[in-house]
Amino acid sequence: MKSNSLIIILIITLLGFSSCEKFLDVNPQGELTQEAFPTTASDALLATNAVYTTLRSWHYHSGGFPILDIMSDDALKGSNPNDALNTVGPYNTFSITTTQDGLDRWWAALYQGIKRANVVIEKVAEINMDEQLQTRYIAEARFLRGLYYFDLVRAWGGVPIVTTTDPELKIPRATADDVYSLVEEDLLFAVENLPSKGTYGTNNFGRATTGAAKALLAKMYLFRKDFVNAEKYALEVIQSGQYDLEPNFADANGKNGEHGIESVFEIGAMENESTLGDQYANTQGVRGTPNRGWGFNRPTLELRYSFEEGDPRKDLTIIDLGEEIDGILIQGDGTTPDETYDEDGNLIEIECYNQKVWIPGTSTDSQFGHNRRLIRFADVLLMAAEALNENGKSGEALIHLNRVRARARHGNPDILPDINETNQTVLREIILNERRHELALEGHRFWDLVRTGYAPQFMGPRGFVSGKHELLPIPQNEIDISQGVLTQNPNWP
Amino acid sequence: MNKYLRLLKPVLFSIGLLFIGTNLFAQQIVTGVVTGSDTKETLPGVNIVVKGTTKGVITDLDGNYTIELQADEKVLQFSYTGYETSEIEVGGRNAINVELIVSSELLDEIVVIGYGTVRKSDLTGAVSSIKSEEISKITSINPEQSLQGKVTGVQVSSNSGAPGSGVTVRVRGIGTINNSSPIYVVDGMILDDISFLNSADILSMEVLKDASATAIYGSRGANGVILVQTKTAEQQQTKTQFNFSAEYGIQQLAEKIDLLDGRQFAIISNEIRPGSYNNVDAVPNTDWQDLIFRTAPMQNIQLSISGATEKSNYYIGLGAYNQDGIIPQSFYQRLSIKLNNSYNVNDRVKIGNNFTITPFKQRNAPNVTYQVYRAQPVLEPYYDDGSFGVVYNVGNPLADLAYSNDYRSGVRGVGNLFAEATIAKDFVFRSSYGIDASFNKAKRFTPAYTIYNPDGTASQQQNLFSDLAKSSSDNFSWLWENTLTYNKQFNEHAINAVAGYTMQKIRSESLGISGQNLIRDGEDFWYIEPPYVIDESNNINMLQSIFNGVDANQYYNMISYLFRANYTYDNRYIATVTFRRDGSSKFSTENRYGNFPSFALGWNLINEDFMQDMGQLSNLKVRASWGKIGNDKISYFDRFARVQSDLFAIFGNPDAPFPAATYIKTGNPDLKWETTSQTDIGLEVGFFNNRLTGEFDYYNRQTDDILVELSTPGHLGNGQGVRVRYNAASVLNRGFEFNLQWREKIGDLSYSIGLLGTTIHNEVLNIGGNSGVDSVLVSGYLGNGIPVTLTSVGKPVGAFYGYVTDGVFQTQAELDAYPHMSQAGVGDLRFVDINDDGRLDGNDRTYIGSPVPDFIFGLNINLAYKNFDFSLDIQGQTGNKIFNGKDVVRPDPYNFEARVWDRWTGAGTSNQEPRPSFGGYNYTPSDKFIFDGSFIRLRNVILGYTLPERISQRLAISNIRVYVKAANVLTLTKYTGYSPEIGSYDVLSNNIDNGIYPISAVYAFGINVSF
Repeated sequence: MKSNSLIIILIITLLGFSSCEKFLDVNPQGELTQEAFPTTASDALLATNAVYTTLRSWHYHSGGFPILDIMSDDALKGSNPNDALNTVGPYNTFSITTTQDGLDRWWAALYQGIKRANVVIEKVAEINMDEQLQTRYIAEARFLRGLYYFDLVRAWGGVPIVTTTDPELKIPRATADDVYSLVEEDLLFAVENLPSKGTYGTNNFGRATTGAAKALLAKMYLFRKDFVNAEKYALEVIQSGQYDLEPNFADANGKNGEHGIESVFEIGAMENESTLGDQYANTQGVRGTPNRGWGFNRPTLELRYSFEEGDPRKDLTIIDLGEEIDGILIQGDGTTPDETYDEDGNLIEIECYNQKVWIPGTSTDSQFGHNRRLIRFADVLLMAAEALNENGKSGEALIHLNRVRARARHGNPDILPDINETNQTVLREIILNERRHELALEGHRFWDLVRTGYAPQFMGPRGFVSGKHELLPIPQNEIDISQGVLTQNPNWP
Repeated sequence: MNKYLRLLKPVLFSIGLLFIGTNLFAQQIVTGVVTGSDTKETLPGVNIVVKGTTKGVITDLDGNYTIELQADEKVLQFSYTGYETSEIEVGGRNAINVELIVSSELLDEIVVIGYGTVRKSDLTGAVSSIKSEEISKITSINPEQSLQGKVTGVQVSSNSGAPGSGVTVRVRGIGTINNSSPIYVVDGMILDDISFLNSADILSMEVLKDASATAIYGSRGANGVILVQTKTAEQQQTKTQFNFSAEYGIQQLAEKIDLLDGRQFAIISNEIRPGSYNNVDAVPNTDWQDLIFRTAPMQNIQLSISGATEKSNYYIGLGAYNQDGIIPQSFYQRLSIKLNNSYNVNDRVKIGNNFTITPFKQRNAPNVTYQVYRAQPVLEPYYDDGSFGVVYNVGNPLADLAYSNDYRSGVRGVGNLFAEATIAKDFVFRSSYGIDASFNKAKRFTPAYTIYNPDGTASQQQNLFSDLAKSSSDNFSWLWENTLTYNKQFNEHAINAVAGYTMQKIRSESLGISGQNLIRDGEDFWYIEPPYVIDESNNINMLQSIFNGVDANQYYNMISYLFRANYTYDNRYIATVTFRRDGSSKFSTENRYGNFPSFALGWNLINEDFMQDMGQLSNLKVRASWGKIGNDKISYFDRFARVQSDLFAIFGNPDAPFPAATYIKTGNPDLKWETTSQTDIGLEVGFFNNRLTGEFDYYNRQTDDILVELSTPGHLGNGQGVRVRYNAASVLNRGFEFNLQWREKIGDLSYSIGLLGTTIHNEVLNIGGNSGVDSVLVSGYLGNGIPVTLTSVGKPVGAFYGYVTDGVFQTQAELDAYPHMSQAGVGDLRFVDINDDGRLDGNDRTYIGSPVPDFIFGLNINLAYKNFDFSLDIQGQTGNKIFNGKDVVRPDPYNFEARVWDRWTGAGTSNQEPRPSFGGYNYTPSDKFIFDGSFIRLRNVILGYTLPERISQRLAISNIRVYVKAANVLTLTKYTGYSPEIGSYDVLSNNIDNGIYPISAVYAFGINVSF
């Protein structure tokens, strides 16, 4: 009997252990996971830095290839005739399909940036750390999230909105208005909470500033045709005193102007091909001799002819064969014809390259160090001019417009005379052309034409169809994976 | 005279009394006749033993016996195979005739099932078992090899013939696209691999196949469960028993691959590149296969000591296994020590332990079979000065062997401590604490060396710096199981129930380091110390890589609840209910627990009244079961988003990098078990007193929620093309199993014949995604990065995929008339335009074969005649295809298989073999490289002779047997490679021959001694 009761007690004690739920909580070993990151102040900085890393990925730059410029009347595919003929070539003639190369890469890269921003916005807010620094990190992430969604809504219109790190698998497209509202919210928060460019130390150059947020906000309002707000924010940037134009136009995009006075928001990169560089410039670099890249984004004849006579910006935008830059002779690519003619004997293409991505140096690697200027002060001045003109203040508009031309003139009184036109409609076109000459091959032309309504006029001959080509088609594999939750843009395929 | 007579009387009387007295203590003689209850005839050779001693006699040919007993020898035990042992109290009788009752031992045979045992007649699940006599026939470190061809539903393939390599076991088809291996339960521990166990220490292995049998193992039973019982002393064994056996065998390559010889190769080379060899008769002729394969010995020795008293029972087993490989620089040595004890504390409580400790040492050869297959036969292995000759593009295999030092060693301990207590007569409570601990080390050293070209320059085969890689890993797990069993029989009702609660913890960690340019080459210096791994000329430290981490598949905790009730009514109707609830730390709190139920019914028709007079029908039973079981062999990491901390952001002027970190890709917090639902219907029959038995099963198992990587929508932010694991795919396996056994005894000859077979239909029902990359799984990557398997809905797992060939283009006209790739020329293979679109491109690839066999079978014959015994095991499979991957990858000029000699040389010369080429178009993956992997193999032939008792008894030994054995001596197959048996853990890249270490034929002899 004794052993019996002993045994029964044993059983009962054992059953008492049955609710050992904690026994089943085993943490992942040897690797950080979402459970443990970010939880400290240094984690917060690491997470915030990661949101910037997406800017350097090749896929961020419109999927890899500069399709926005190639679609516009400013540029052709480039490289030799057979290179990427079926993948990039169709952008030239608006004959792309929903499965076109690059669309899914761009879409995925933008959402990756958004996810990284959400990690900061959602998780850093919960960390116990210095409040000022915490707010700044979150503001930086919101600026970048605004930037990424701005690209998405301009390229595709309404898209799924994701603001957490743990989104649903199936999210339908929001309307374009909703996306713009989110961008506006994010950028306004950034404007309030980011420091100005001057208060950052030099080793923080490249981080989002309040000036950058205002400039981006102004651009967004232009796209929304909210010219009052566009004027407001553009002027705030101009009046902040933090920015000015580089005396030399070449420096606006060149190596000497990196993080310079004209730079409002810039993507830093090092001359390193693997993890620290940016392949954006290499994609468009001179092909052949010197070997600086693949040679895409070739300036068109229309761009060449559109410059005003004597405008030095033409030569500083286009690298022609036979030119010598920084002591290097440009000979070009053997497999690309120097001049291409159509069946009727008309000249249609000259081998030339984008000079704005040029970096002096001795090898292909140097191209990877080009810092792409996403927003520069000249752009802000022209935005101000445009907004003022739309608001009926053409006189004030001319001040900023002429400031840009003065820099381009570079002291030569015989070229690029100041504009005096005050008729709103005429001035509108002049400002559009000025944007073209100032900002060519920087990814602005296509969207400038679409938002101002001039797209059919300039791009119609290339195949632009109204009601369809303002937006890119949603990548087909995204529609397939969503199993019908995502709907395609009008008139596609 | 009178006086002497008077004195003599008492003396005589006393002496007389003495005699009578001693006669009273003297022997009593008992005689009698023994008959059998079934035949009513006398039985010769019946064992009659005085109970509790070893004193005994046997009945003669007429069934008569005579035995002399002392007064204290009161009970006689009559035993004979096939009959129930009978104990008779002598009680002073002189004539005792005994009728022995024939034992329906087959029906009363006890079968071990999970957490308990059951009589075979009460079993409702599909369980097959093999006993130690069959297990010890196969000499291998992997005891599961003895299941090959002996158990229905089980396919065992050797992964490689290298000493120490493992085997792949599949029960009833391929369950999932991930890990499809069954689990093993040994000495109270649940394990993935039993190579530490000496086959000689195994009493029996039970394979649980259907849901009713495996559901008690819940989340781990989906791919079958193999229970292993290790030996204890026999119940009535009072004398210490010693069993010694020693076996020595020679291994040989069974068959070489037919390759071209030097002259043939030169002729073919001249056809491909004219002028390669000026005089084809003067080229060297090296048979590389002959150079690297050798005959190699193997030894297997064991000693077991066992004994039992009323209170205790012990078994000690010692085994030493030593195998050299048929390729030099490979061997495997293992020592196994087994200790099984149990002790009856009192008549209610029993405690005990089972332990095995196995240290091993292994040496691995480099993959020279692939080199030997490719090496040109016109090259010499050595130069005149004895140094290694160059073998272009491939490397000299002899040099690789000479410079290879690849060792692994370790020790593993598995065992448990248990206590059992009988409570309230019908309850038994058992608690057992088991551990599995293993520690492994590996080291790999290659010295610096150079093989030179004939002109003295260095060839590509060189190692600039010596390199050393070392690693160690340890695994530890414990399992604590508590069960309460209830057994009750009243009237016709019998209930057997068990309930239990278990906890388990599994841990693992590994550490590795490598470096180059060691200060010395000798083994004494195979250590990585930073000052000793320096490149002096450049003064760089050559410490290469360091890793330290856990194995995410072997790091988790589990809690389980289990329950089973088996109810039998009147030995006729049986019902079983099983339930297991498992909780695992691998999954998130919401998905942590899984429930695995099963139900089964059985009907012993033979015991029904209406079946009483069915003549020769001695057994008839039907059973059916259904249940759900799980597969938990997945890594917990897929649940989380992991952090990537090697990113940079560039800020500042000048540009400078700043570290950044963020999530890599989303995890799947809904991760859970893969679940299998299995239905089984079985029929058992017996005829002629169960001399002929048959067992038939139909099985249907569907595995759902299989983990598969799927593309995620872009808005999850994972980046382009990145995929995450979801439980989304489904696979179906179904088929028939049959097992026919015939046992017969005619006079001195007894024999048994077993024929068994299993059919398998394997089909993928769902991959998870419905479009693009997610609707198929591409795998089976060859050395050149080309995939040859495509797993898709409606086809088997790992199905082969490529072009279909249809002869050779004989003339230019033929070539022009049919769609072809641009590289095709006259004399090249014609690929079929499958989709009939007039073009020959990637869309013309299609399903070209399955690696899963349709039918697996075995034939086993055992004969015993007087003192001789003979056994023959044949096994095979049909319907599976092999992809000859090693022939396809040809970036350089390699040697060819003999079939190339019958090449096309002009119109009409050959329609099978195209014009020769060193690679390129004709070596595009197509059905030309698909071979029928069906085979019949003579697995084992053993002839043994047991020395007559009179000889062995003179040596005070109870039993000596000598035998000769031949294994894997004959394989009939159409496949041209070394072996048609190519196992693979990766079910998506299955049956692809990329150059395997061949399985050898073994000729051995041995001796078994018991005393």
